[in-house]
Amino acid sequence: MALGNKTLDDLLAPISKQLEHDGVAERVEKPAWEFTPSRVTDGKTKAQLVSMFVEEAEKIRVQVKRCKAGELAEAVASIVAAGAPETGDACSVVCADDERFAAAGLYDALRAESLVTDVAVWNPEKGEASVDAALAATYGITYATGGIAETGTVVQPCGPKCGRAVSLLPLVHIAVVDAETIEPTMLEVMKGLEGESLPSQVCFISGPSATADIELVRVEGVHGPMYVHYVVVE
Amino acid sequence: MSILYNTEATLAERVDECLADDFKHNAIKAAQEAFYAKRGQLVEEMGEGWQQLRMHAMEVRNHVTENLDYYVKQFAQNAEANGCIMHYAPTGDDALWEVLDIFESHGAAYAVKSKSMMTEEVGLNEILEEAGVRVTETDCAENILQTAGSKPSHIVVPALHFNRTAIADIYREKRGYEGSDVPEEITHFLRKILRHEFLEAEVGIRGCNFAVAETGSVTLVTNEGNGRMVDSLPKVQVVFVGIDRIVPDLESLDTVMALLPRSAVGSKMTAYFSLDSGPRGAGEADGPEEVHIVLMDNGRHELANSEFQDMLRCMRCGACLNICPVYRHITGHGYGSIYPGPMGLVLTPGLVGYDKVDNMVYACSLCGACTEHCPVSIPIHDLVRQHRINIVEQGKNHKVEVPIFKALSLFWSSVPVYMLGMKVGAPIMELMAKDGALDASTAWIPVVNGWTSTRDFDVLSKSRFRTWFKEHKQEQAMAEGGER
Repeated sequence: MALGNKTLDDLLAPISKQLEHDGVAERVEKPAWEFTPSRVTDGKTKAQLVSMFVEEAEKIRVQVKRCKAGELAEAVASIVAAGAPETGDACSVVCADDERFAAAGLYDALRAESLVTDVAVWNPEKGEASVDAALAATYGITYATGGIAETGTVVQPCGPKCGRAVSLLPLVHIAVVDAETIEPTMLEVMKGLEGESLPSQVCFISGPSATADIELVRVEGVHGPMYVHYVVVE
Repeated sequence: MSILYNTEATLAERVDECLADDFKHNAIKAAQEAFYAKRGQLVEEMGEGWQQLRMHAMEVRNHVTENLDYYVKQFAQNAEANGCIMHYAPTGDDALWEVLDIFESHGAAYAVKSKSMMTEEVGLNEILEEAGVRVTETDCAENILQTAGSKPSHIVVPALHFNRTAIADIYREKRGYEGSDVPEEITHFLRKILRHEFLEAEVGIRGCNFAVAETGSVTLVTNEGNGRMVDSLPKVQVVFVGIDRIVPDLESLDTVMALLPRSAVGSKMTAYFSLDSGPRGAGEADGPEEVHIVLMDNGRHELANSEFQDMLRCMRCGACLNICPVYRHITGHGYGSIYPGPMGLVLTPGLVGYDKVDNMVYACSLCGACTEHCPVSIPIHDLVRQHRINIVEQGKNHKVEVPIFKALSLFWSSVPVYMLGMKVGAPIMELMAKDGALDASTAWIPVVNGWTSTRDFDVLSKSRFRTWFKEHKQEQAMAEGGER
């Protein structure tokens, strides 16, 4: 048989044959599953889940700040105020375009910091220039849509207002997350996504980019951010 | 590379070479112990939940296998509805043809890749390079192997057989590295040089840990973030998806993800887990403009509805490698397959057939530790044994074995012959023994030296257990009689 240009039917026919199926079924119902696994988060209150989220995040070397609703701008700006990590040099910032950031006065608060040279707000109309801004930035700031207590994870969908680059290219990623959006496990997050039209990417982020590829020595900051901060808004 | 490599050496030669390399097997031992200890702690924390997760993952994965044609079709149709361009590859060669076609139609000459076993399986890098395409591996360990021209010794941390000095030297020679041997400095050098390559590349090539049938999504698990870079920066993306990667829905994705990072590296979650559903949407400034999904079978369907069907549950976590006493000593290089260790012993012959795999399925003591640790409860050691049974039944075992086992079967099934053997055996052994055992001085005797070259073989006792037992009973009866 010639190579390539195969159809879906070419792929399916041998599978059906092997399974002794008379062609592919029109519909297969999922069975009622026999097992419902228990999870460590079972029976925890919201407050306990938030504490667990913070604890788990700290275990994976995330720096966590908790603040009240009105203190978002101040909490984020206080992290950026130190300038670039280690050197303390002046640096630039890239932010997701988020109404909640604007409402909290975050962009102005960041611009007021003496060590901040530029605050770029993600703008897809600028195309590649937005990616360049993220590449040049030391800090990338996003608003996560949720958190996962079991693993200290933040849920970060991407879209026109928050490119993939914001949480990926800068040396430091600051993820803001509302305490009330913290779910026990990934299961609740997945259930929430079901039936929705999914964004092109939902990224689950758990701490800094890391490797142990050389002699199993853990090194942080491989291709993604070297430092990760969560700001939990209560 | 295809599935098998270093096939000019025999299993014994490959094993000898690995056993002689102390750095290599000590590195594997350290990795096994580190991953195993971390995994154990997490499993304990979960209590009963862990076993329930395993059982649930098993029922979900079995359901998909039993309806594999349906779920492959559902995934393909939904991925296409998301805007992905689908390529169907019943064989590895079909997959290569499709990928070459994608590169040709874009006139692309430069690709970045995040680690994918499927691309290793079909030898994608070699074919692309022959076609004049430059391919850069971006996982740190894979980049080290690519730069050094070496092969993986572990599926999760593949460059463990190089120490820090060797790695630094590789980059000094090939990439102008001027720093020290400190892992952190070498890694940050890689961050710098590879970032440039991510930005320049025209095509990103990646694998897929799990594909979701109901949403047509593909997923990727990485710690370094190279997967995200490949997934975000190049305009064209090629995703390799095996037909055995499918889960029905997002809820079952959570089940397998609760098991995978814990089993693979002893973490609750990896730094990044991305769920990708189609190319960048309207108004998005980054992410791929085109996503090509290469949905590949390459022999997997033959495992369905067969004695090896359980293997289609495999998540490629490497938990079985991290516990295997044989792998610990012979390392990934001993097996001569890109799928090493217990899972490799089952999968490799399953995919390439018995005629090509020499006697690798014998590199297993059938201890069953792999089965016990497998997060989806694959009876791995039973399947290894099944391969051995098939090899014998198909007459593909070593020709010398047949008369030897015939003779042994006669010996053990005939009482007089057995009794005679026991009687004659003891004095013959006595003649060659030192201090009641055959030691290394008898290593000149073929077959027997398999044991005696490294261990003593005790001489057969002159008295038989049955005789002793009879006498013992009589003595006991007499003693009891005396007491009364």
